[in-house]
Amino acid sequence: MSMAFTDAQLAAFMDGTLEDDALIAAIETAINADPALAERAEALAGASGTAAAVRDAFAPVLEAPVPEHLARILAAPARAEVIDLAAARAARALPPTANDAGGSWRWPQFAAMAASLALGVMIGGPLLTGGGRTAASDGSLVLASADVAAMLDSAPSGQAVDLASLGTGEVVLTFRGADGRLCRQFMIAGAGATGDALACADNAGEWQIEAYGRRAAPVGEMKLAGGDAAPAVVAAVDAIIASDPLVGADEAAALGRK
Amino acid sequence: MIPDDTTRQALIALIPRLRRFARVLTGNLADADDVVQACLEKAMLSLDQWQPGTRLDSWVFRIARNTWIDDRRRAHNRAGHEDIGELLDLAGEDGVAIAEASAEARMVRAAVDRLPPEQRDVVALVMLEEFSYREAAEALGLPIGTVMSRLSRAKTALAKQIAEEGTTP
Repeated sequence: MSMAFTDAQLAAFMDGTLEDDALIAAIETAINADPALAERAEALAGASGTAAAVRDAFAPVLEAPVPEHLARILAAPARAEVIDLAAARAARALPPTANDAGGSWRWPQFAAMAASLALGVMIGGPLLTGGGRTAASDGSLVLASADVAAMLDSAPSGQAVDLASLGTGEVVLTFRGADGRLCRQFMIAGAGATGDALACADNAGEWQIEAYGRRAAPVGEMKLAGGDAAPAVVAAVDAIIASDPLVGADEAAALGRK
Repeated sequence: MIPDDTTRQALIALIPRLRRFARVLTGNLADADDVVQACLEKAMLSLDQWQPGTRLDSWVFRIARNTWIDDRRRAHNRAGHEDIGELLDLAGEDGVAIAEASAEARMVRAAVDRLPPEQRDVVALVMLEEFSYREAAEALGLPIGTVMSRLSRAKTALAKQIAEEGTTP
């Protein structure tokens, strides 16, 4: 049976240059029945330029920082329940629900999964990676979206703002940094994705992105209690914040002279 | 069972490869991370089923693939949508954009994403993970000839799409 195929046919089969469907199926069947033919075919395989291109194309995924919530699974003792993907997906689609249990200035909780699509679109340049990344050292992160800049310029904390194609935005915290700059932490919920960011006004009144990141995915019911923003953003706020949260008239006045 | 530190470290070291594997299966990084998350949870709970001396990566990839298959089946039953990944991908590059991704890399990823699901796991293991055909066959529970033919068809489709896209800037 295995002699029915020529070396050229087997080599073409291995390299993906054989386009005869029936012949491909016949070779598959024959190889499944004959380990020696499998070895013969394998020996005839040439180097694949396609494989190299595919490896290159997916290399950024391999190099992206591992999201904290994934590493955390392995840091903790084994858990008694297994996450239900369907439930996770459903949770992702839930509307925002307020939860101030986390502290006076922390996020309201949004049961949203986070791929920071909106922030990726908004920020441009060095785009978002999975784990969230502080960008303070990179001065190039100027806010590109006029809609988002307008929200930061004037919207009070806690007010949902329509950001057109980006989705819905909301400033969740306004404060002064240790260097006196006015800073605002905000979120953007796009289609099925939620991102977090921290922006501070520079001397010219332009908003500079200090940190951005993805929202951690809820894991079953276990992680929902915290409801934290992206860890990189929370860390950046912690590092910079030097005033009480500005709200109401204080916030409006600060925005007037940022 | 609580895994010992060595195994836990080995699993942590595997996460980037697991994400890449799941990204190829699901077609976008958000769904991939859901799969990775569920996979790691399951791996932690059933670590006693892994036989020391056998490949840990292969074992974990198999869990990830089964998770993805279950998830697709459930999504299909629930929503009537076959390919959630395809729908989500319309929203943008991987949901999470990847730094400085070249147009070429994006095009190749899109070509991989258009492959039928049963070719994507073979591509992920043989092309990306550089498993041998035998190892891939064992990890996927498929006969080796079937792995070879799926990869053959995938290579044909990829080469065609890459050639087409490459000539039309």
